[in-house]
Formats: sequence, C-alpha cells, structure tokens
Amino acid sequence: MKARRDVYQAIADPTRRAIIHIIADEPQNITSIAERFDMSQQAISLHVKILTDCGLVVIKQQGRDRFCKAELSKLSEVAEWIDQYRLHWESRLDKLEKYVAKLKKERYGKTKK
Amino acid sequence: MEKQKSNTADRELLLTRILDAPIELVWEVWTKPEHIALWWGPDGFTNTIEEMDVQPDGEWSLVMHGPDGTDYKNKSIFKEIIPYKKIVYDHISGPRFLATIEFESRGNQTFISWHMLFESAEQFIQVVKTFKADEGLKQNIEKLNAYLKGVRIHK
Repeated sequence: MKARRDVYQAIADPTRRAIIHIIADEPQNITSIAERFDMSQQAISLHVKILTDCGLVVIKQQGRDRFCKAELSKLSEVAEWIDQYRLHWESRLDKLEKYVAKLKKERYGKTKK
Repeated sequence: MEKQKSNTADRELLLTRILDAPIELVWEVWTKPEHIALWWGPDGFTNTIEEMDVQPDGEWSLVMHGPDGTDYKNKSIFKEIIPYKKIVYDHISGPRFLATIEFESRGNQTFISWHMLFESAEQFIQVVKTFKADEGLKQNIEKLNAYLKGVRIHK
C-alpha cells in the first residue's frame, strides 16, 4: 500500500496550497496551472495527482483538456480540527481563569470584586 | 505564493480573555513556578517544574503528567520579559512555536492575549493532525474504559 493520503498531506506543501488557491475560483488545466510556477509540468502533475488522491481536486475531461477543479468542502475537515485545537488551548485558559479566581478569593476575601 | 509567505494566518493561534483579577496577581500566577505548576496543561494534568528562569534567555523546563501516567517533557527559552506587560517564549521541544503573552490592566481586571506562532504552516498542520490522532486515541481509551466497566458489572 502506498502512503496514506489525506487532506492534511494535501495541504502540507506550499506548492499544493498554491495550486488549490489558483483553481479555487475556476477550474484550470494542468498547462495553465504549470505556467504559474517555476517548475516543470511533470512536477505540477505529480502535485495534482497527490491532490486528487487526497480528494481535494477532481479532474474533469473536457474534449482533449483535463481540467482540475478544487473540492473545497474537504478543507472543512482541517478547519474543524484547528477549531478543536483552539478549544484545547481555550480550556487551558479556563484553568488559568479558575486558578486566578481562587487565589484572588483567598487573598482578598469574598467581598472584593 | 510570495504574498502568502508574509502572511502568518495559516500557522498561528490567537486567544484573548479578560481575567477578573488585577494585573499583579495575573503576572504572579504566570511567572512563579509554584503557581504555574497548579494550572498549566490540559484538564486532569499535573506538572513538575524543573526550571523556570523568567528572564531573557532563561530556561523553562517542565514535565506534564497526563491522567494516564504518560509524561510530556516541555522545554522553552524565554525571549522577552517585560514585567506586567509581555512574556515571549520559544517552545523548543516539539512542536516548535513562539508564544507571546501580553497583559493589559483594565481596572481591576486584566486583558490577556495569547499568541502562538508555529514555525511553518507544515508544522502547524502536523500539530493539528497529531492532535486529531491523540483525540481519537483518547476517545478510544474512553470507549475501552466504558467497555471494561460494563464487563466488571456483569461479573
């Protein structure tokens, strides 16, 4: 089995993120995507291949051209986990807040607000 | 691609909060090891502070003890310390990030902003992915615990 493909792997590379950015507005073929980069069309094709394996890009055949279309809904999976990670840090701030409140009560008593 | 390089939005987290305590107290709780040991880390964790030298280039080493007995070593270097204003530290054990905590007095309350900047978007994605894996693992352990409880009851 080949390396596991997932959305995280798809966006873990700056070129792949740039490709998604380029085709987010409208589908484009490999040639016009490759023109935007300082690398060979083969290299771009490989990145597009990884993106399709990860489900972030769908290839549509139109005549002789193959258009790459971005599947942006897949990205929400990452956004969801970034939110979870943020909540993890928020809960650590909750702990700080509780601790400070407890200490304040001990030092200044209950009446002082 | 160039315009994305100067942008840090894809590798940072910013949290803000107003704490209902004067800034002196919040600063003390953040900078004294005997206090930080009591509130640092995720829920259910305890901490051992090995070193906490709150000054520029000062070392900060602590071990977080997870509820399941796993130890997590953390090492950071303080970069900037402005009393009652700002703490910057470089978390040098993985995942690497630069944290900037700013304090601002608001009467009897304190506004705190907590910014974490990861080295690269790749690193940040890796952290989120690892976190996702850990959360999955945690849920599995919870499931296993629930399962074992059930088994015990039926005995």
